[in-house]
Amino acid sequence: MVFDNLLQTVVFGLIEGSVIAVGAVGLTLSYGVTRFINFAYGEFLTYGAYLTVFLAAGVFGMSLPLPVAAVVALVLVGLLGVAVSRVFFEPISDRGALPLLITSIGVSFILRNLLQGWVGVSAKQLPIPLLRRQEYFGIRLTHLELGVVVAGVVTMLLIHLLLQRTMLGKRMRATSGNRSLAEVAGIDTTDVIRQTWFISAAAGALSGVLYAVLFAPFRPGVGFEYLIVIFAATLLGGIGRPYGAMLGAFFIGLAMNFGSTYLSANYTRAYAFIILVGVLLVRPEGIRGGEF
Amino acid sequence: MALLTGWASFLVAVATIGCIYGLLTLGLNVHYGYTGLLNFGHVAFFAAGAYASAIVTMPPPSTVTNASYELWLNLPMPLGFPVSLAAAALVGGVLAFLIGLTSVRLGTHYLAIATFALAGVFSDVLVNEAWLTNGSFGMNSVPKPGRAGLTADEWQLAYLAFAALSLLVTYLVLERLVNAPFGRLLKGVRESEAAAKTLGKDTNAVKLKSFVIGGMIAGFAGGVYAHYLGSVVTAQFVPHVTFTVYAAMLLGGAASNTGAVVGAFLVVAFEESTRFITTLYNWIQSTLPDALSGVLPALFGPLPNNPSFIPSMRFVVIGVLFVLVIRYRPEGLFGDPAEIQALGEEED
Amino acid sequence: MSSNQSPADGNSGDAAASADLLEVDGVVKQFGGLVAVDGVSFGVEEASITGLIGPNGAGKSTLFNCITGVYDVDGGAVRLDGEEIQGLSPTKVARRGVGRTFQTPKTFRGMTVRENMAFAARHQTGERALGALLRPGTIREEEADVQARVDDTLEFLELDHLADDYASGLSGGQRKLLELGRVLMLDPEIIMLDEPVAGVNPSLTDDLLARLRELNDRGRTILFIEHDMDVVMENCDRVVVMHNGQTLASGPPDIVQDDERVVEAYLGGVDR
Repeated sequence: MVFDNLLQTVVFGLIEGSVIAVGAVGLTLSYGVTRFINFAYGEFLTYGAYLTVFLAAGVFGMSLPLPVAAVVALVLVGLLGVAVSRVFFEPISDRGALPLLITSIGVSFILRNLLQGWVGVSAKQLPIPLLRRQEYFGIRLTHLELGVVVAGVVTMLLIHLLLQRTMLGKRMRATSGNRSLAEVAGIDTTDVIRQTWFISAAAGALSGVLYAVLFAPFRPGVGFEYLIVIFAATLLGGIGRPYGAMLGAFFIGLAMNFGSTYLSANYTRAYAFIILVGVLLVRPEGIRGGEF
Repeated sequence: MALLTGWASFLVAVATIGCIYGLLTLGLNVHYGYTGLLNFGHVAFFAAGAYASAIVTMPPPSTVTNASYELWLNLPMPLGFPVSLAAAALVGGVLAFLIGLTSVRLGTHYLAIATFALAGVFSDVLVNEAWLTNGSFGMNSVPKPGRAGLTADEWQLAYLAFAALSLLVTYLVLERLVNAPFGRLLKGVRESEAAAKTLGKDTNAVKLKSFVIGGMIAGFAGGVYAHYLGSVVTAQFVPHVTFTVYAAMLLGGAASNTGAVVGAFLVVAFEESTRFITTLYNWIQSTLPDALSGVLPALFGPLPNNPSFIPSMRFVVIGVLFVLVIRYRPEGLFGDPAEIQALGEEED
Repeated sequence: MSSNQSPADGNSGDAAASADLLEVDGVVKQFGGLVAVDGVSFGVEEASITGLIGPNGAGKSTLFNCITGVYDVDGGAVRLDGEEIQGLSPTKVARRGVGRTFQTPKTFRGMTVRENMAFAARHQTGERALGALLRPGTIREEEADVQARVDDTLEFLELDHLADDYASGLSGGQRKLLELGRVLMLDPEIIMLDEPVAGVNPSLTDDLLARLRELNDRGRTILFIEHDMDVVMENCDRVVVMHNGQTLASGPPDIVQDDERVVEAYLGGVDR
């Protein structure tokens, strides 16, 4: 019985870790090429979840099947990411990290409150039925929870292939390593940065959709509140390192679920954060930001 | 003795809140403007001060509805008031010290995230530890000092005078501090920690001091706030407060105490005045001739009709303010451009 | 000038009972598997000008960072006045009396030249928050002294016309001078300069070197890193040559200059 409970906690930790991992990898990819921490990143999660709901519910004229709605939402949020980058960040990209970071706070205010002004603060949820948990090898899971893990793993694989096997991935790595050197080598880094914004924002949206699948219902503040968790995973893995972010995410997912199960369910965010502070205390200079 | 009319009463309220935000902004300015510490958890110090004041002055829970707090001192007013404010500043300072111990050694980005997240955790504590904070019901019987002997209007004015005096004294103290070698020390640490260290300065100690001073001011502001509203509720202490204070500081000008105060009043006045947009709309609509009565609804009809629309737009404007100030006028209204252009960026 | 008279000092094993103010004794520094400084030893005599030369990547700046506590050493010792200072924080090393500049100057750009200079003064009552609030009289007196020293030093460096300019507006050479000025305000026992004339325009270079010699004439101990062989040979009492993280030679300039290993390693390094 104790063992069952333990196993179940591990499984939930891994499920939530998948949600975090998708977001953390997206955040870390954009950090890798832009070199500032984007506090507006949480809004991509929020917009992903809301757009999926709206597309599925026919707010824009026709109602799409849920998976299609989610894919369309990812693309739209990816484009939103590019637009945000062009309008807000590119014009001051030569001014160093601090103005960019502070601007991202403003951007998060703008995006979050535009949405809230439009849809109000009442909670929304995805049109998914309540499912009964099935036994898989002694672990109880819903199809959807299994789906979240699969989506998380597939995303990690895709990003791995992107970075290692595609030209864009190579350009992203080069830009991340040394932007001016990459430019000398003939890489259009502005273009690379825009493409990275697309991928990063779309990953954020996916993370938001997965979150909504797991933890419906949600409000316009959902992404901003979850940002702490994603930051924790990103920093734990070493900011700017996608593979570290994946590991960090699963670690944080486990910590949050173990803490909630065995300590107190009131402090899920705190568990994520205590681990982070612990790591930072051991290595006070922070975990060095790295290349891909 | 005249009763404050609607507008006058509103102005008094705005001015009082302005003073409180002025204190908060002065505190943050010590951190960010003078020392370059990107503190994204300022609201936690504010909350800590407010709760400290509530705890030392709240009456026994048996006399309050919905009360489950287990710690109260019930200090009598008005003599308990200075004690309460001292406790608020102290607790704000202690919290800043504790957060600072874990965080001031971190680089800018890490500090921002650490303080942001620690403030988030702190607010979880406020919601969950009802024995201390009465949970999300809040502490709703914080005494208003001197209220018994005055009419409502007199008390409003008296409290405004007190808040303004607090702001003035804090401003003068800070001016003295930053114009002394202490201010030079803070600025040097802001500009280059490596250089400050090789010139024999203990930069971590400097940052910790800065953190504590700003935290004490924010805690003090929390005490002033608690006794003004007479209630302290978790929902008042959200991250938006931190960033509203940032907006005020950036608008007024980082590393300018005058700017901090002016910025705070401007932002508070803006936020509070948006409450009247609906009233204004109705008034304009009622004065328009019949022939034009369709114009406004046609213009504004497509806007979403939900109660959070106007409050949300208020924050959209705050967000736009961030973006515009940083892009076009990083030194704000009163900052020194030569000082602020490169703030937080180390020479390499 | 027998400065080192304290018999209680722990390093009795040293055969050469030198009057060296700074002793670098077998210092090792590794980064990962890479050995950047590999057992460097030399001494800096009190009131001397010592030049530290060597090709790019010889480990000179790394050694500076080891001496000043920016890096922890992986082996060996650094002694100031016979007391070990390795392992101390940069702050403590500076307080012990080691002042340094950086290869790329780290000035306080958002502060005026005057503020940059005054920052470095030691023992300021007004640097403590309570002191700043409660002791205005003391601060006024101290500050008058500090500002007088700032004025003297700026005049000496011929920066006085820029006193109220922001450091961000200075040229590269002026920043080097400002950094030197800050170190002088710190008033250390030894002044360590990382390429003080690199990037400084030639007319200013001679000026700067003249200033350094003048400081030395007033009894200051100076250790500086320099690329230019001629600059070192003309201005130094002693020269230390580093190559591949090791000390290749040290001694008076004319002797070192004729050392065949030096000629080969150093010139070889430059040519490459």
